[in-house]
Amino acid sequence: MSRVLIVEDEQHIADGLRFNLEAEGHDAMVAPDGESALRMLLVERQPVDVLILDIMLPGKDGFTVASELRAAGEYVPTLMLTARGSAEDVLRGFEAGADDYLPKPFELSILIARVNGLLRRRRWNEHDPPGSSGTSDTPAPDVYTFAGRTLDFTAMQVHAHDKSHRLTVMECDLLRYLVKNANQPVSRRAILQEVWGLPEGVDTRAIDNFIVRLRRYIEDGPAAPKFLQTVRGVGYRFVPRP
Amino acid sequence: MTRRQKAIAFFVTLCVLLVAAAVSLNIGWVFINSRSLAPLVLGVISFALIIAGLIVYTVFLVLEIKRNEDHDTFINAVTHELKTPIASMRLYLQTLQSRDIDEQRRQEFYAIMLADADRLHHTVDQVLAAGASGQKAKAVIRSPIDASALARDCVRLALARHHLDAGAITLDTPADGPTVNGDAEQLATVVTNLLDNAVKYSAGNVRVAVSVAVPAPDTVWIRVQDRGMGIAPKQLKRIFKRFYRVQARDLRNIKGTGLGLYIVRSIARAHNGRVFAQSEGLGRGATFTLELPRLATDAVTPAEGQADADASHPEVVK
Ligand SMILES: Nc1ncnc2c1ncn2[C@@H]1O[C@H](COP(=O)(O)OP(=O)(O)OP(=O)(O)O)[C@@H](O)[C@H]1O
Ligand SMILES: [Mg+2]
Repeated sequence: MSRVLIVEDEQHIADGLRFNLEAEGHDAMVAPDGESALRMLLVERQPVDVLILDIMLPGKDGFTVASELRAAGEYVPTLMLTARGSAEDVLRGFEAGADDYLPKPFELSILIARVNGLLRRRRWNEHDPPGSSGTSDTPAPDVYTFAGRTLDFTAMQVHAHDKSHRLTVMECDLLRYLVKNANQPVSRRAILQEVWGLPEGVDTRAIDNFIVRLRRYIEDGPAAPKFLQTVRGVGYRFVPRP
Repeated sequence: MTRRQKAIAFFVTLCVLLVAAAVSLNIGWVFINSRSLAPLVLGVISFALIIAGLIVYTVFLVLEIKRNEDHDTFINAVTHELKTPIASMRLYLQTLQSRDIDEQRRQEFYAIMLADADRLHHTVDQVLAAGASGQKAKAVIRSPIDASALARDCVRLALARHHLDAGAITLDTPADGPTVNGDAEQLATVVTNLLDNAVKYSAGNVRVAVSVAVPAPDTVWIRVQDRGMGIAPKQLKRIFKRFYRVQARDLRNIKGTGLGLYIVRSIARAHNGRVFAQSEGLGRGATFTLELPRLATDAVTPAEGQADADASHPEVVK
């Protein structure tokens, strides 16, 4: 049984989500605000497999909660719910370390599918394929190696030298896209649209922050990047053998 | 500093620098042309024009930035209050549609959805009322209104809407209801908003006292007093601002748009009245007073034939 933590201050929505997740066979808990969610995860160390995180919370908002969790080394897969639904919010959520997002009001079936998707990723991460039936949906390990670094897309980790970093789903998707287009310049717009499915006209600076973070994982000197180069006026280029 | 504040600071600094540059150029010009009068006068005038233009431009820019900011607060506050009940209703409808649910649960879900529909209705009403109350005072269609009857109606409605028993809201009015001149619907909106707040911010212990009084011959007070959570002294004025809501831990689960008291104040002003809040502090309840000019009673109820002190300056009833 998987455990889902719902962080939502609107009681009706929280109860409705809990009812549905329980009907799906999950164990669901509700935290009414960011502080109690952080306490449950970081202090009480409650085991949680997926986090459903509302952005507009009283006190600490969803962005803050997500980034504090990541900063504390807690990488629980996170689905963000946003009522404003602007692309800027979505990017901010990804920056804060969310793995997926849904605009409010959401489609119940889609929400459940997304939660199950995150749970599946979680199981691959832990190399803990679910029982007898689940083995079929465990993919072959999806690993890319360059210049002594390993990108493990299945376990969602980067290994560089002797260090490992956990990746969020969004970071994984971006890296995979860059690797697929290795040695070619990739525009910021392509990243927004093709990797994250966001509309045009979004402030592209958020991507730059993502790149800064990825550089920290794979570059020797993030200030003078060799692998993840900036192409002026266009975007970025991944060069595995500079 | 927010992005907006930074933008404002930037433009103001830019303006100051440009004005300083223009002034020093002007001084230079005065020095160079100190002998000949025509270029001197023309130069000084055109520099003055440039400086004035810069200042006007900056003022407009800053006002525009501020207006945008107001617009953003509006979008944020209202988006949340509009979308949340919709999201909730959709969630329950889809749940009912896709799962087998026993009768008892089903009834629970209906009740939840009804509450959501009410909340949505309330938000829409508040937004519409805020829009209407922002209009000029002359748009108010006035007629004489019995303040006691108005208060009584509002209390009755509030009791029903909040499912309270009769003792929860008491009413104290003078025998002869003082008359005010105004728009009945708008004044009812005021009293209803004050009553809603009194109930909402009472933390379950609803003991509200409504009173109608004539503190001075030409003034009518409608007061709503509660024994709820109270208001900190420094918030007493701010709560009337548009979208302003007090941020405190024990208020988090009480939802609202922050429009209620803004509407109350706008309507009060449009009626040449005012509204003010009093509170002895947190946890000690709050009192809201709506003060309106009193209408000469004989103008409305000639049968009673009471010539009050204020009959000397009667108002025209349209
Ligand atoms: N009777 C009261 N006691 C304590 N606090 C109050 C009272 N009435 C208003 N307030 C405070 O004033 C703030 C603004 O109230 P206002 O009525 O404008 O907005 P709201 O109640 O949040 O939203 P709405 O009325 O539109 O649903 C509230 O957030 C609340 O903290
Ligand atoms: Mg209110």
